[in-house]
Amino acid sequence: MKRSFEAIVVGAGPAGSAAALEMAKAGVDVALLERGNFPGEKNMFGGMLHKMPSLEEHFPEYWNQAPLERHVSKKATIFMTNDAHVNVCMDWEDFDKPPYNGYTVFRPRWDSWLADEAVKAGATLINRCTVEDLILKNGKVVGVKTLRDNGEIYAPVVVSCEGVLSFLADKMKMRKKFNPAKMAVGCKCLIDMPKQMIDDRFGLVRDQGVAYEYVGVSMGVRGGVALYTNRDSVSVNMVCHIGSLGKSGITLYDMMNNYLEQPQMAKLLNGGKLAEYSAHAIPEGGYEMIPQLNADGFLICGDAAAFCNATGINLEGINMATHSGILAGKAVIAAKKNNDYSKGGLDLYRKLIEDSYVYKDLKTFKRAPGLLHDDRIFQKYPDFALDMIKQIYQITGEPKRNMTMLVLNHIFNNGKVSLMDLMSTVWTAWRAL
Amino acid sequence: MINIDEIFDYTSYNIDREPHIILDNTKCVTCEERWCVNVCPAHCYAWTEEDQKMSFAHDGCLECGSCYILCKPGAFTRWRYPRGGYGVAYRMS
Repeated sequence: MKRSFEAIVVGAGPAGSAAALEMAKAGVDVALLERGNFPGEKNMFGGMLHKMPSLEEHFPEYWNQAPLERHVSKKATIFMTNDAHVNVCMDWEDFDKPPYNGYTVFRPRWDSWLADEAVKAGATLINRCTVEDLILKNGKVVGVKTLRDNGEIYAPVVVSCEGVLSFLADKMKMRKKFNPAKMAVGCKCLIDMPKQMIDDRFGLVRDQGVAYEYVGVSMGVRGGVALYTNRDSVSVNMVCHIGSLGKSGITLYDMMNNYLEQPQMAKLLNGGKLAEYSAHAIPEGGYEMIPQLNADGFLICGDAAAFCNATGINLEGINMATHSGILAGKAVIAAKKNNDYSKGGLDLYRKLIEDSYVYKDLKTFKRAPGLLHDDRIFQKYPDFALDMIKQIYQITGEPKRNMTMLVLNHIFNNGKVSLMDLMSTVWTAWRAL
Repeated sequence: MINIDEIFDYTSYNIDREPHIILDNTKCVTCEERWCVNVCPAHCYAWTEEDQKMSFAHDGCLECGSCYILCKPGAFTRWRYPRGGYGVAYRMS
């Protein structure tokens, strides 16, 4: 096996393969190291693929060639309790036309596809290659140690795209200590259902798909559910903050079962069969969690750099990872040209990131992670809102109150949520979003 | 519905006999929380009250990282990803 390259990328996920693709296309001799038997084997997500302009530069109309499941034409936010739900559903004709707004995908297929494209461009993909440590010389990163016999591989620059746990950034003392309150863990049930059944139940035709987010189903823990339709399966993702989950004493799988047994969910998924179970941690700390991005011979991208935007409205990760990978690729290309792989020579990456939507969005929504620490959103409000809505839509034969009186009466007499509660949450949300 | 005790029926693994995570379970005795027991989505941790002992099995580990994030410093004498090609193997997640 060849031992030295012009660049090493650790991890063939969306960030890593995008970085390798960008570099290989510019003639950089890059090694792409993947610990799985193939790219994507270790990866799961509870999300969708959003529009990715940086990828479209390489693959105009990639939706015609990449292994996609469905394009998401319908999105909904759903407040759910144990016996009711209110669905705010958005269904746009625009989202049903190319360029689509987003897609559902299977990671083993999507990640493999992108890595294959990097290989076609000239990158060297090395599978079954777990990176254990960095090799440093005079404080500069000059290579990696892998869990193989004689597993040293050398290059003047290493791009860490190793995912949320970010071991290499920790070894470089570049990332902050993890705070379990600001990290999440998600588990996913992939449920097999025939395509026709999915189309009928969710109101879809052709390759149309849904992305639904549920609040109020996490048994009081800070978290929620995201549901996506694939061609002939449905992904159900239960995501919670690790600290809040720990404290609750509840498990994710019990929470998942509670959700799947909720009468409205049971109807929607009836006849489905569990095909795969998976789980992963998610860096939900936002802006505050972004590490130092560049050092001598070293860059950090994707989840390892906490590029993940989970405000609760859209859940973004792969798009940000891919974008950061491409920007890291550009910085390495420039460093090669100038033959300067020092921290300063790689500073273009930091500048490009700070100029991009990745960094700007995380900064704009830097208070959003705090909003999700308001337990009332998960414990009290769904019940409160659904009770009130029930009163509005229920005809009992008693004289009705006008809407203002009904709402005020509900606030003052429900015994669960006070006016102060509501004002405090509205204020936090106003500042966060 | 998922029965976590049947995780091997749903999810594929190529189990390495050499564990990728080694827990120093003497640390668990004095840990006040032991949240790993309910946080681990694969139910790899189990606390026995009579023996005051934490047991950990790496076989069903989904490599999610939540115990690495959650547990106190020094709880693990080793926490790394499995050797190349070993561990959990997703087909379509």
